[in-house]
Amino acid sequence: MNILSFSGFIPEQICDTVRFISYRGEQRISHYCGYAADYISQVLQDNRYDGAVFPRSCDSSRVISSYLSDCDKFMYQLHIPARQDKLAVQFLAANIRAYQQAVEEHYGIKITDVWERAELLNRRNRLLSDLYDNLADISYSDYLSQLHLLLQKPLKEQRVTADIAAGNGGKKVYLIGSLLGNIDLVKSIELAGLKVVGDRLTESKRLFSAPAVSETGDIYLNIAESMLKNKLSPSQNNFVAILHEDCQEIKTKGIRGVVFITQKFCEPYDYLFSVYKKLLDEQGIPVLRLVLANSAEQRDFNNTLESFAEII
Amino acid sequence: MAQSSIQLQAKLMRDYYKDFSKYAKGKAPARKVALVTAFTPVEILEALNISYIYPESYAAVIAASGKEQELLAESERHALCLDCCSYSCCFEGSLISETAPRGLPPKPDVLIATNNQCNTLPNWWNILTQRYQAPLIVLDYPGEIMETEQAYEYVTRQHQDLIVRMEALSGNRLDYELLQECIVNSRASVQAWEILLKLLVKHDIAPTLFFDAVSYLITARCKPETANLYRAMAKELAAAPEADRSKPALFWLGYPLWYHAKRYLPELLEGCRISGSNYLGWWNLDYDGDSWERQMFNAYNYTFLNLRQESTNALLWQCIKDSGAVAAVSLHNKSCKCDFVSARQIEIPQAELEIDMIDREFLDIERARRQIETLLESICTV
Repeated sequence: MNILSFSGFIPEQICDTVRFISYRGEQRISHYCGYAADYISQVLQDNRYDGAVFPRSCDSSRVISSYLSDCDKFMYQLHIPARQDKLAVQFLAANIRAYQQAVEEHYGIKITDVWERAELLNRRNRLLSDLYDNLADISYSDYLSQLHLLLQKPLKEQRVTADIAAGNGGKKVYLIGSLLGNIDLVKSIELAGLKVVGDRLTESKRLFSAPAVSETGDIYLNIAESMLKNKLSPSQNNFVAILHEDCQEIKTKGIRGVVFITQKFCEPYDYLFSVYKKLLDEQGIPVLRLVLANSAEQRDFNNTLESFAEII
Repeated sequence: MAQSSIQLQAKLMRDYYKDFSKYAKGKAPARKVALVTAFTPVEILEALNISYIYPESYAAVIAASGKEQELLAESERHALCLDCCSYSCCFEGSLISETAPRGLPPKPDVLIATNNQCNTLPNWWNILTQRYQAPLIVLDYPGEIMETEQAYEYVTRQHQDLIVRMEALSGNRLDYELLQECIVNSRASVQAWEILLKLLVKHDIAPTLFFDAVSYLITARCKPETANLYRAMAKELAAAPEADRSKPALFWLGYPLWYHAKRYLPELLEGCRISGSNYLGWWNLDYDGDSWERQMFNAYNYTFLNLRQESTNALLWQCIKDSGAVAAVSLHNKSCKCDFVSARQIEIPQAELEIDMIDREFLDIERARRQIETLLESICTV
C-alpha cells in the first residue's frame, strides 16, 4: 500500500500516506491550479504509488477525480465540510470512518492502530510546535526541508529533530500560502535578508496546530473535531478567523512584512489576498505577493525579494 | 384575462429590482435582505418574507450592459486577481466604483453561500462579508460523495438551522404551509421550463431567448408568476416556424456569453442551429420527495455541478441526445473549473473554445472562427 495524498486535510491517524510535495508533471489544464495538475500527473505516471487520496475542498481538488477517472489505482475523495460547527464534526467523522473502510476493503487489511497513531501524532505535533516557537533562532529553510522529509516517511519512522541549522538574522517576515515545495525560494527569502519567524503553510503551522486528538470517546469524532479546530485554510470559508489569528501573530512577533505565496489559479488564496492586503495596508505592513506556476516552480525571485527587503 | 409573457417578465423584473439603489447606502428596507448564491434554498427565505438578491445574475446584467471591462479593472486595482471568477470581479468592481446599470443592490443583513455548484462562491462570499460586515452562513452540500441517508441528515439539519437563524433575523415564524406552497411553485416553474425548452429542438428559435429567460428560474423560481411566464412563452412560441432540419444541429456546451448581444456566437455559426445547451438544464432542480425536508435535500444536494463525473456524463449525454445535436461547441470557461470537465467524455465532435462568460476580451475570436470552421468541415464530411 503506497498512497499519495493531497493537502493537509487527509487524516494521518488512519494510515500512512506519502504527502504530495512537488512533481514535474505533463498534465497542463488551462486555468487550473498547477499544483493540483502536478498531483494528477504523479498519480497517473508514478508507478511507485498504487493509490490516491485527496479532499474536496476547493474547485481544483473538487474535480481531481474527473481527471483520474481512467486510472485504476485506489481513489478516495474526502469531503471537507465548508463549516466548522458540531454538525460538520459529525459529518466529517462519518467521512473519515468511510475512508478507513475504503482503504481496508481495497487493500484487504484491517486497520487497528488508529488510537496508537493518534497518540504518536499528538506527540509529534507537540515537538513540531516547540520547533515552530523557536523559528527566530533556526534556519527556516532547514526547518521546512526537514518537514518535507518527515512527510515522506511512515508515521512510526518520523523523528522530529532539534538538530536544525542556526538561522541568520534579518528583517522579520511572515509567510502565508499553501504547501511550498520549492525550498530554493525559501533560501532566496533568507538570502534577501529576510527572516521568517511565522507562517500559515500547510506543511508547517497548519500541520501541527490542531488540538491534540482526545484519547477517550469516539476516535473518529475526536479526529474530526481536531481537524476542524486546526488553523484554517481559506478553502474552509472562514476568512475572519484567518485574518484575526494572523494579525495577532504578526503583531506579537513584531513582524515587518508579509510574503504571500500563491499558486496560479488557486482561488481560495486569491480571494483571501484581496482582504488580507487591505487589512495589512491599514496597519502599514507591506505585503509581497509571489505567484507560482506549479509545484516545481524554479523561477528566480531574487530581485523581487531584495527590493521587498529594502522597502521594509 | 391571462397576462402576456412581456407583462409577466415586466412584473418579475420590477419586483426583483425595486429595492436596488434605494437602500444601498444602509437605509433599512421594508424587508430583511439576503445576498445569495444561485442554488440557495430560497423557498425558505421566500416563506419568511426575506428578500434575496443574486450577485452572479447581477454580474451577468452588468456584462450585458457593456460595462464589465472598467469594473474588472477596478476590482483588480483593489487586489482581486482577475483569475478569480469574473462574476465576482465584475460585481466587486461595481461595488467599489458604485456603478451599476440598475443601481446598487441593497445592503444585505445576511449572506448565504452554498457549495453545490462550486467552491468558489463561498470564497467570494467571504470577501462580501468583509465588505458588508454582515454575518455569513455557508451551506455545505456533499452531493454524491457520501451515502444518501448520511448526506440527507447533514443537509436537512443545516436547512433546519437556517430556518432558526432566518426566523431570528426576520422576526417571522416560518409557516410550513407557505414553504410547501413555495416548493410547489418551484416545481411548477421547473416543469414549465422543461416544456418550454423542448421548443428549442423543434422550432426555429434563437437560443438567446432561452438564455435570457432562464434568469427567472434562477431569481424567481418559487414565485407563481415564473411558471405562468414559461407557459405563456410556450404558447406564444408554439407558432414559430419548424426548425430547418437541413442545418446541422449544434449543442452549446457551457455558459452563455453574457456580454454578447445574442449570448452566443451566431456570427461564427452561420448555416447551423443551436438545438440545446446544458446551461439551460442546470436549473431544472428535482424537488422529488414526500416532505419539505426531502424535497429540499433532493433539489439542492443533487444540482448538476454537484454530481460525480459519471452522473454528469450520463445526464449530459441524455441532454445531447434529446437535442439531436451532431456536434458541440464546448466552452472552457476561465471562470468555472467545475464546468471545465463537463465535456470530457461526450462522443460527438467538438470545437473547444477558451472563453469567459463576462470578459469579452478573453475570447480569441479568430481562433474560435478557425476551430468552428474545422468542426463544421468535419461534420459535413461525415
